[in-house]
Amino acid sequence: MKHLSDQELMRIVQAGDHSPASEIYDRYAGRIYNFALRFLRSPEAAEDAMQEVFVKMLKHANQFQGDAKLSTWLFSITANWCRDYLRKSDNKSKEAEDVLVTLPAPAENAPDRNLERRENEIRIQRALQALTAEQREAILLSRYQGLSYAEIAQIAGCSEGAVKTRVFRAMETLKKMLLVDPRGGDQCLNVLP
Amino acid sequence: MPLLLTWSLDAAGREAAHRHIETCPECHEEWLSMKDTWQVLADLPQVDVPPHVRDRFLAAALPQQAVVIPFRRRPAARWLAQAAAVVVLAGGAYFAGQRTAPVRLAPRGAAVTAAQPMMQGQPVYSIAETRVLPAASMSPNIEGRPDIENVQFVDADPRDGQIGVAFDVTQHVTVTGSPADKSVVRLLSYVLQNDPKSSTARSQAIDWVRQTYSEPRYANPEITQALASVLHNEQHEGVRIRAVDTLQKLPPKFTSSGDATREALIDALKNDPNPSVRIKAVEALARMANSGQSLDQAAVDTLRQKAAQGDENLYVRVKAAEALSKIGPR
Repeated sequence: MKHLSDQELMRIVQAGDHSPASEIYDRYAGRIYNFALRFLRSPEAAEDAMQEVFVKMLKHANQFQGDAKLSTWLFSITANWCRDYLRKSDNKSKEAEDVLVTLPAPAENAPDRNLERRENEIRIQRALQALTAEQREAILLSRYQGLSYAEIAQIAGCSEGAVKTRVFRAMETLKKMLLVDPRGGDQCLNVLP
Repeated sequence: MPLLLTWSLDAAGREAAHRHIETCPECHEEWLSMKDTWQVLADLPQVDVPPHVRDRFLAAALPQQAVVIPFRRRPAARWLAQAAAVVVLAGGAYFAGQRTAPVRLAPRGAAVTAAQPMMQGQPVYSIAETRVLPAASMSPNIEGRPDIENVQFVDADPRDGQIGVAFDVTQHVTVTGSPADKSVVRLLSYVLQNDPKSSTARSQAIDWVRQTYSEPRYANPEITQALASVLHNEQHEGVRIRAVDTLQKLPPKFTSSGDATREALIDALKNDPNPSVRIKAVEALARMANSGQSLDQAAVDTLRQKAAQGDENLYVRVKAAEALSKIGPR
């Protein structure tokens, strides 16, 4: 099935044959998992999101429009699930703990380099946590998934203008938290497109 | 700026933006800091999807295939709410388990198991996987619209004409009571150890237990034992870490609770395959020592061994050494 396009695989699924499930999963699992993991800050929740998203993909395959991008559709399902999860989860301190849980263990060789890398990861994750859910969603999809603002707007259910604002505000917050000596800049920037 | 970073501007827009940046010192500085920030974000690594997630999905997607879900150390268990019920109308005949053919009714009252008539003053409800009810003990009113599945019928017994209807029913049961009630404790202990629905649900259960049972008056060795069991048997490291966190926060009212906690932490430190769990266990043991709880020689020996173990994760070794320094020389 590797030679088939996403649309062709989905047409098979829409016909009631789930045999492309593993191929579709293998194509998108990494991206979906990492998005959910960074969005939710909980590996357990990210695993649950994976299950829900891919099962839903099969169950509601007929809702997939043939001319759409499968990645956008899957990220839409994932983002919806994640937003629901965050709405239900009101324990912010619990979420904060998850960040440290998420970190992969350092390898045994080159411990200094691994320590530095781990510290960087912690810094970035803390900075991402400081964002609102909407900003985090936008920056994750933009920076780590390479989606266009139009695609993010479709996933987030908002206008492209709103996405631009979210990314800009997210970057302002991240800049303050991640750069030791953040450079200046002011309202003059607003004149830029 | 973000539009520039993400290449979201067309060529003319990019050109205009860069022309402005080159002539505006403030925007130039801002552009450099935005680029730096964008670059720093690249240090967040991609995390591999755990293999069992794929197995779990394929088991649901392709149920006809023999996909094995590797619950590595977790014993098989059935979800409590999926309580199977068996009703035998007006008889009390007993039948259970999987059947493909009608089962003959046994003599009246022969083997009623889980729903024996209760004595006055005794509990009137028990959670059971299988239950046999005589029709006389069941209300004729069906409340709500319960989801009844796997219905099977038992033909009339020629001796007394009794028939049977068997089915599975999903019930939503709410048990209310004090955290100290034995029934509540036993139920939570079961849920902690046996709810297989999802790791999220297990984490939420652990968090709730931590909030509820952190008061000294509710300290209960059965809860401690259940958490120790989770720490030992749970597949997901995030859940095991939560179990460690909760164990160390429960008040050690009973000596047996303190012992069970310590033993569970030592076991995790020695045997858990995930270094994050081992770090948590080391930290918990150190906190126990700092708070005046006794650490026996076995715990100290384990910390020493971990601090000196060359092939142990660097963080575990550092934390073990820190813990030993807090405990002091022995």
